[in-house]
Amino acid sequence: MQKILLYVFINFLVPALYAQNADSSWFINNYIKIEKMIPMRDGIKLFTSIYLPKDRSEKHPILLERTPYSCSPYGEEFDSYYWTTNTYKEYSREHYIFVQQDVRGRYMSDGVYEDVRPYIKEKKNNQDIDEASDSYDTIDWLVKNIQNNNGNVGVRGTSYPGFYATEAALSGHPALKAVSPQAPVTDWFIGDDFHHKGVFFAMDGFSFYSNFGKPRPVPTKDYGGGFTTPIKDNYKFFLEAGALKNLATMIGDSIKFWHEMYKHPNYDSWWKARNARVGLYNIKPAMLWVGGLFDAEDCWGAWNSYKAAESQSPQSNSKIVMGPWYHGQWSREGSFLGNIRFESNTSEYYQQNIEIPFFNYYLKNKGTVSGIPEASIFFPGENKWKQFSKWPPDNVDYKNLYIIPGNKLSFDSVSSTLKKTDLQNGYLEYISDPAHPVPYTEDVHDKRTREYMTDDQRFASRRPDVLTFEMDELNEDITLAGPVIADLVTSISTTDADFAVKIIDVFPDNFEYPANIKGNGKSYPMGGYQMLVRGEIMRGKFRNSFENPEPFVQNKITHIKFELPDVAHTFKKGHRIMIQIQSSWFPLADRNPQQFIDIYKASNSDFQKSIIRIYYDVNNQTKFILPIIKN
Amino acid sequence: MNKIIFAFAILCSGGLKAQTKSNFVKENFTKIDTTISMRDGIRLYTVIYVPNDNAEKYPFLMERTPYSAGPYGDSNYSNRIGPDTNLMKEKYIFVYQDVRGRYMSEGTNLEVTPYISNKNSKKDVDESSDTYDTVDWLLKNIKNNNGRVGLYGISYPGFYASASLPAAHPAIKAVSPQAPVSDEFLGDDVNHNGAFFLMDNFNFMNYFGKPRTGPVKDYGSQIFDLNTKDMYSFFLNLGPVKNSQSEKYFNNQSYIWDEYLKHDSYDAYWKARNIRKHLKDISIPTLVVGGWFDAEDLFGALETYHAIESQSKNNNNMLVMGPWTHGSWAGADWSKFAYQEFGSNTSNYFQDSLQTLFFNYYLKDKGNFNATEATVFETGSNEWKKYTSWPPQDVIYTDYYLNNNNGLSLKKGSGYDEYLSDPSKPVPYTNGIFGRRNNEYMAEDQRFASIRPDVVLFETDVLSEDITLSGKIIADLLVSITGTDADFIVKLIDVLPDNEPNIKNAPKGFQMAGTQRLVRAEVIRGKFRNSFEKSEAFIPDQITKVKFNLNDVAHKFKKGHRIMIQIQSSWFPLVDRNPQKFMHIPEANESDFQKAMIRIYHDAENASKIVLPILQNAVN
Repeated sequence: MQKILLYVFINFLVPALYAQNADSSWFINNYIKIEKMIPMRDGIKLFTSIYLPKDRSEKHPILLERTPYSCSPYGEEFDSYYWTTNTYKEYSREHYIFVQQDVRGRYMSDGVYEDVRPYIKEKKNNQDIDEASDSYDTIDWLVKNIQNNNGNVGVRGTSYPGFYATEAALSGHPALKAVSPQAPVTDWFIGDDFHHKGVFFAMDGFSFYSNFGKPRPVPTKDYGGGFTTPIKDNYKFFLEAGALKNLATMIGDSIKFWHEMYKHPNYDSWWKARNARVGLYNIKPAMLWVGGLFDAEDCWGAWNSYKAAESQSPQSNSKIVMGPWYHGQWSREGSFLGNIRFESNTSEYYQQNIEIPFFNYYLKNKGTVSGIPEASIFFPGENKWKQFSKWPPDNVDYKNLYIIPGNKLSFDSVSSTLKKTDLQNGYLEYISDPAHPVPYTEDVHDKRTREYMTDDQRFASRRPDVLTFEMDELNEDITLAGPVIADLVTSISTTDADFAVKIIDVFPDNFEYPANIKGNGKSYPMGGYQMLVRGEIMRGKFRNSFENPEPFVQNKITHIKFELPDVAHTFKKGHRIMIQIQSSWFPLADRNPQQFIDIYKASNSDFQKSIIRIYYDVNNQTKFILPIIKN
Repeated sequence: MNKIIFAFAILCSGGLKAQTKSNFVKENFTKIDTTISMRDGIRLYTVIYVPNDNAEKYPFLMERTPYSAGPYGDSNYSNRIGPDTNLMKEKYIFVYQDVRGRYMSEGTNLEVTPYISNKNSKKDVDESSDTYDTVDWLLKNIKNNNGRVGLYGISYPGFYASASLPAAHPAIKAVSPQAPVSDEFLGDDVNHNGAFFLMDNFNFMNYFGKPRTGPVKDYGSQIFDLNTKDMYSFFLNLGPVKNSQSEKYFNNQSYIWDEYLKHDSYDAYWKARNIRKHLKDISIPTLVVGGWFDAEDLFGALETYHAIESQSKNNNNMLVMGPWTHGSWAGADWSKFAYQEFGSNTSNYFQDSLQTLFFNYYLKDKGNFNATEATVFETGSNEWKKYTSWPPQDVIYTDYYLNNNNGLSLKKGSGYDEYLSDPSKPVPYTNGIFGRRNNEYMAEDQRFASIRPDVVLFETDVLSEDITLSGKIIADLLVSITGTDADFIVKLIDVLPDNEPNIKNAPKGFQMAGTQRLVRAEVIRGKFRNSFEKSEAFIPDQITKVKFNLNDVAHKFKKGHRIMIQIQSSWFPLVDRNPQKFMHIPEANESDFQKAMIRIYHDAENASKIVLPILQNAVN
């Protein structure tokens, strides 16, 4: 969700730079800007910037973004977003009417802000407002008050604005024809931004929220800065900060939501009300869900909002696009991410073949959407787009991949390959030490990198607290399409622990990218590269229920089964499939004190070492369930 | 010592500080290729560049080398000759010789040829006698010489320079051993305190260790092909050191590699290869040169200086230590390294103000040479210092105790720290993926190691004033281990403040702030803690003293910084893995390698400490 801050940042600073170029002058000459306070049903007014095309040759559709990140610049100045973003350049040539709105309680809008404001299914009166009703009232006002509109409205938004796009889709306004939630914030406890399976993503949360969460007693154009520290090494900063309650002290009492969140360590009714999927019934507009396979923030939200829409609103017209992207990369250069290259500009493909045709068709009745399949998914490895009529596809075999002795993985189970005598020590163990958590990425960094999602994991393989399991070299391609399930059999010497599972593509020792494939311009030794394909972490105490955590019985064999966000990846012939298991992923994920405790209230002294075992004997077979596309 | 190949590349490239015309040598010298007979009849191939201008008589300046005296042939000139461009222009009679048994010389090569103190017959030859015989021949056969000879050499040739000193020919008037190989079991190249430097030697012997049947101009291809971009993975997959003798690799084709694996303690083989004990009563002027960041022969430079100094009453022995990697003092420019800016061109300074003056003075009676005893570059402050002794007189060796809670202070602490050392997951010596051993590891940010569970660290409070170290460091540890052997690596680190400004033109994401810059590190193979000759098993779980020296430093920890010590039990693949079981490690099988819990004690009775040479009244 914080990537969007970058957009905002650019929006603030860049206009002067662009003022001279052709795209900006074209836009400025062909549009006029107005600002309105649009009244909602409860009387609260929302600040709205409207960019009207001068063109009157036909009536034009409205494309709306609702944002908590400000619809700045305020006043006469134009937002460079419209000429620096490829898709918006196209929409402006099509004379779309562009609307941005500060959501209720943010920046220049009236009212009280609430993060991921709960959806009210049954609204009883005009005081029962939510983001869906604010969207309805805004759309209603726009189609009635903006001259020369064609009565069709689309909504688009990435990250937090993606959440507002999802909510807009629930407004049911008849003029709303097409919605594209992109990397939509969906569930901050289960999979997006703040938590993954109950594990607190403290680094992202802290850097985002120390600014975002500042109080706003009256409308403002500027919230000011967030928390600052001279420490340029975020591993050090968060390790020295220690227990989560110390972060709460640092962020200060004024950041209300931070403290509120700490009161909800489990998936209780408070969190469930903030699960955007609860409203995804009876969806009327055409939906285009967009996400990045390597989006560090809302990959989960993109996959799972789409899935919820499909299952809860089966009559709806929902399509999904997942490319090999970091958060928002589909609006930028899409040929590579980190050290991994995709052999084509995947963002351009998406813009030209999917998003632009989608809005043009539903909002302007122009062109066709017959070329947009149910699911357009890019498969790194093979580096190809694949089209599916269903996701996950039907032609998938869910195959068990077992840990076997020798740090190996095999589709044949231990019992079928080995004698019982080989299985006396059917486990591996490591000491998980919260004083030395496993880093999520190599090197020293000031900020969380976006490249970690495809980083070389050799730095982790070399640690004694990371277990590494590898298949033999593949003699044919294996393509995964769908969720991976980790089915771990473990015992721990304490009463809680985290389990991070990483699916890794090991490149051949002699692998090199040909010089003509576009990359990041840096030379990196790709031979033997251990590419992170998917990583996910699970807080052990939630293994049976996110609502009701349970302690582990020390040293007792315990099953932990959890789903990793969907994977789309081809492991090429000559590559190897590797899986790593570790019990920290720092400072991405907060450290587990490794005792059963309310971690938000834990003290530094509560953190202790734990001996973690992973079993693979006949009776206790750790396995991974892989969604393998049939040939 | 293999780094010398790189040094040669610098020497031979056009990148000289003063651009010299590439035909300078050809225009000003006449090249003679000849063979010189030694007392036992073996002929050594010798290349001689004689100045054309015979207005004056010239001294000889000779390098004896195992790396080829070529280019061979009277008409094939080297573009650059001599130790530096100044000296080349000064004109000496430059001599290069293939040592016995290498390249175009006859005879049999011996690894670091043992010195024979009492020669009984003409068959008793060594590098001293070969140098003697060569000098004798040169004086008699090369016209227009002034009767004086100087020797120099970097790395392995540095050893041959040292080896000319005992029982030297009286015409030898000046010798400069530079990063000289001096003792390959205790501190240079092959082993440090008995721990085998696997990666460097594996790669070096693949080239250097190839046998020949007679004189050759070219040894041809390496013994085996090694195309890996990831040395850590390669050596981990290789497994125990014995696997290096498989058909795919050495396959017993390198006699030197065979010897290395055979001699896994400080036995007669290694002792015979310690030239230091023969560097006594040396009165020939000597200029010993070394680099603080030399990954190969830092020990050799410091200990060659000390050996001459302590064993020769009437010595005229000087030390130069700069902020250099192996041989980089011979290059055109050395003003920065590993994100450190030295503020001046330190290789220029050495060549212009020390090396050229030294040889001119002692071989040509030209100019003055009044270098102080020790000319030492102090890192941290980045200043050249001159001392009348090395280490300086006013050094107080001060005990810094390891404390609990990762502290390091003048007071004893309590408790212990422990870590699990797992030979299947050894601690990397460097951060990142490398297809070769890098030089930068000697000054690298150690944060990649701090965050591992198998590295323990101890650091002082933020320093309220500068602390300058000048001299050797002693690690004095009290440990217990669950196995019967283990390695101990101790690293001295300068922790930069969190508000340290970033360097100019920093690579994307690079942060200088908080850097844990390695100043010095050393390893000991635990079983040699009491004797390098006779290894001893540890008794599991029994508190045991492990005391060893780290090579000298000259480093200023500035106010606002911290001094950090890290301890770990692997340093891979720089050093081979210890199976953590008392045994002949070159015979170990994969199944012999076991995890061990390592404890470092720091209570009042078992107070592990680091002894630091603190310079008093350090002048800024």
